[in-house]
Order: sequence, then C-alpha cells, then structure tokens
Amino acid sequence: MRIGVCIKQVPDTDAHPRIADSGDHIDDDDLSWVISSCDLCALEEALLLVEAVEEEEGGIDRPELVVFSLGPARVEEALRKALALGVDRAVHLEDAAFRGGDAMADGRALAAAVDREGCDLVLAGAQSDDLGQAATPAVIAGTLGRPYAWLVIAVELDAASRSVRAVRELEGGMNEVLRLELPAVLAVQAGINKPRFASLRGTLQARRKPLEKVDCAMLGVEPGQVGKAGARIETMAVRVPPTGGGGLRIAGDAAEAAAELLAHLEREALL
Amino acid sequence: MSRQEPLVWIVENVGSGPGSRETLVCAQLLGSDPRLARLDEDRLGPYSPGVFAKALGALIASGSRERKSRSTVVLLPHTYQVAEFAPRLALLLGAAYIPSISGVHRDGEGGLRFRRSILQARLEAEVRPRARTIVATVQSGAFSSDETPAPPRQVVEVCLPADMEPRPEREILGREAASAGGVDLAGAERIVTAGRGVGGADQVSVAADLAAALDAELGASRPVVDNGWLPREHQVGSSGHLVAPKLYVALGVSGSIQHLMGMSGSRVIVAVNTDPEAPIFSLAHYGIVGDLHDVAPALTGLLNERAGR
Repeated sequence: MRIGVCIKQVPDTDAHPRIADSGDHIDDDDLSWVISSCDLCALEEALLLVEAVEEEEGGIDRPELVVFSLGPARVEEALRKALALGVDRAVHLEDAAFRGGDAMADGRALAAAVDREGCDLVLAGAQSDDLGQAATPAVIAGTLGRPYAWLVIAVELDAASRSVRAVRELEGGMNEVLRLELPAVLAVQAGINKPRFASLRGTLQARRKPLEKVDCAMLGVEPGQVGKAGARIETMAVRVPPTGGGGLRIAGDAAEAAAELLAHLEREALL
Repeated sequence: MSRQEPLVWIVENVGSGPGSRETLVCAQLLGSDPRLARLDEDRLGPYSPGVFAKALGALIASGSRERKSRSTVVLLPHTYQVAEFAPRLALLLGAAYIPSISGVHRDGEGGLRFRRSILQARLEAEVRPRARTIVATVQSGAFSSDETPAPPRQVVEVCLPADMEPRPEREILGREAASAGGVDLAGAERIVTAGRGVGGADQVSVAADLAAALDAELGASRPVVDNGWLPREHQVGSSGHLVAPKLYVALGVSGSIQHLMGMSGSRVIVAVNTDPEAPIFSLAHYGIVGDLHDVAPALTGLLNERAGR
C-alpha cells in the first residue's frame, strides 16, 4: 500500500502580498512561503492513517507515504518539511516546462507523478490558500480515471477490501458518507485535524530521506501539455478589490467608536 | 446575433435547489440567449462527480460541434457539488476552468475576461481563457440584478450517453447531520460572531458577553471552530450555518469567501478588526478598525448601562 500526498507551496497569507509593477502577479521578493493549510491537513491525515495501521497490525503492511509537489527550487523546503513530519520520501516536479501552469496543466503533471509511483490513495488539500480553485485534485483523479471526493472531513482505510470510507461535507450542515474503491483521490477540507509540528529528530532525519527530482521526460508527459503551454487560463491583472457597500468607517478610540456605533444602530431601530 | 457572442449554457441541478439566478444574470451580461442544461438524479442516477461530468460533457461537446464558429461558455452555480465535478467537466472538454467568478467583461478586442478573488479575498485577479470552451462557476451573491432575468427558453434534460456505463464511481453509504445543539443561528435576529482575532478559547467570553448584552446568538468563524474555541454548531459560513439576521456583528473575523457567503444576506453588518484591509470590511455597513478586545467591552458596557444592568 502506498499513500501519496500532493502539497502546494503558497505565499504566507498572514503577510500582505505586494502586487508587482507589471500588475499581473504578486511580487515574489520578500515573500515567505508555507505549505497551504488544507495540504497540511492532508499530510496530517495521511500520517494518521499510517499510524492507525501501525497500531492495529504492529507495523506489518505499513503503507509507504510519499509527498509530491510541483514548483521551482524553493519548493524543496516544503518537501523537506513534510519529510520532517514523518513522510517517507519526496518527489519534486521541477522542470522549466512546468512554469506558468494552471490547475489543468499542474494536475496532469501530478497525475503522471502519482501514477509513476503507483499510489493506491492520493490525498491533497481541498483548495489552496492562494488561488483557491479547488481543481487540481479533481484533475488528478480525472486524468487517471479514479474515484474522487472533494471536501473530505474524515477518512478510514480498509486495506482488506482495498477501499476507503470517506465523509464529505455538504452544504447546510449535512455530511455524506461514501465508500470509494482504491485507487482513489481525496481532497481534504481544512481544519479536520491539528497538523503536528516537526520534531528536532524528524528535521534531522529529513535531511537523509530520499527526495527525487523529476522532469517531463521522466514522467512521460509532453511539454506542451504542462506549464504555460498546457494552461487554459492566463492571469492578466491582479489588484486590491474595491471596498464595496459604501460602508461607514467609524474612527476614534474604543469608547468613542462604540458610542457612535450604538447611535447608528439605534437610528436603524436595531437595539 | 453577433458572431462574437458565445453559446452559453446554464447548468441547473434539480436535486440541489436553485442558485441559478446568478448564473442567469451572468449569462445576460454575456449578451446571449442561453440554453439551460438540467441535471436530474431521476434520469442520471445518484450523483457522482464522474457520471455528472461525463453526461454533461457529452451534451456540451455536441452543442459546440453544431456551432463551430462560436465559443462556448458553461456557467454553473458555485455549490459544493459543482466545485466537485466542474473541474472534471473542464478536463473532459479541454476547457478553461475559471471557478467562483465574481465578474465578467470584454477586453478591447472583445475577448472575455473573468474576475475572481484570490489570496483568500485579499486580492482579485482578472483571468483570460485560452480555450474555445470555458467552464466557469459563479460565486454566490456575486451578480445581482433588480429583476430576475427570464428563464432560458431552451431547456435540455441531461441524459447518460448511450455508450456510458451508468455506474457511479463511488458508493453513498448515508447522510448524517454535521452537528446538533441548542444554537439557533438560522432563526436569529441578531448574531455576534467570534473570529480568529479573539485569540483563544479563554477569550471567547468577550464575544459572548456582547452577544448577551445584545440579546444575540453567538456565532463563530471556521478557524474558531477548528481550533476548538467554540463547538461546530456555532459556525457561520457556507460549510456551517447560512444566516441572514437583522444585525450581524463580526468580531475579529477577517472574512473568507466561505464566511462571507454564509452571512452576506444580513441586513446590517458591523465589523471590528485590527486589519483595515480585512475582506469583511467590503461587506460591512459599519466598520471599526480597532482591537475587538477594547471595542467589544466598550459596547457591552454601554449596552448594559442602557439596560440598567
């Protein structure tokens, strides 16, 4: 059994990203990069699945855990972090041809990578903190023709029947319980677990764990199918959204602002 | 009809209710007489992303073959179900996939440009499709119009293609309520919501006290629930409760798209946040840039004074 986790390195959203002078992307300088929050939950869920097998069966048939990420050299840091958390090995999709891809292009490349490793179960975050398109895991599943579920909040592995039980979030406070045959792809919702921190021992071990770089040729994908050439969308401009609603900003210290707000609410007959 | 006008499909899922109003308004902006593709489980069998994507894909592809000279735009409401199967639909069609759009316009050359939020609504991006077929999902509440546009005249029931096995790729074992509890957010007239800015479980009382003083229910944003500061039944947002009270007070809520979707129908929205660029301010009728730990107790104090408490 092999479990793959696909992660994306994104700009830290707690920082205020600056728009580049060209106006069509975020300025890369002095950005700090982190693993997207849903992807951290997917990593944690995979680690928990492996630990559940270890506890039940005394470590026999322990699934191997492989982490995948597509991006430039900086992505290695995210992969090393995943290794420090307990992942067995990492695959870095690094090729100039991957640059400028959209979810379709990146999903195809990642699909080839998880297929090459023969992953029985692939986990990924439901949506990234930066673009939030919620599409890449669906493209991986679609490219490989595998069962898929999005917004998964609980996962149980049933190795004997080669299936997985997943709970999917629906709108309006309902959940749906699903059974998917392996191999399958699951996109994990944020906040379903508390991602662990790397231990010092884990960080030291991560340096010696295998991290393989793969390019288009190794994955057997056509350069025209990935990166900018394979992308079906192009970002033309990025800007700060106009503040709508014509809302009133109330100034002053806390006591003054509170008094003024209450006066407005009283006038609107809300108190 | 000008040659540049695309063939527009609006997709409606009978099982998951309306939500097509925004797609209709958006179709109108594209200047087209749209066709409605109706997904119905009575016809297609139980929903699964693969089956719905393939059945819909076959219909769209045949429509595009009829109209070789035009581009095709498929508009779907951005529901959880759509977000699950629409990327697959785009993949099947070799289409540009543009999820959760909040605007559309034409550039100087008449090409379509779509607007969507990025970086958790801190910025917005303008996206140009690079394919003849475009699959776009429409953000809830994004396109408003005083009049509901007339429903499309052409309605097509989506069927399983003859060569397709109707077997869903996954089995539905059941449905369950996500939570149960004594919190009545859906029916509340006033809601005070604690966001991540409250800082910790031991500080939720600052929001609870204001809720009590306002005779309001206590809501929570997703990070607050995920961190265990408040139970899940308090959660406001598209994955929690959709609320529309008369008064909504957001304390330390930055305002993710999911949160804004869940409360944007509130009559009067008040936001208190230290970050003047927090997306919640774009919806707020009254905004106070400041520390909720100062502002909320000040409000509570004044309200209690008024009530003689």
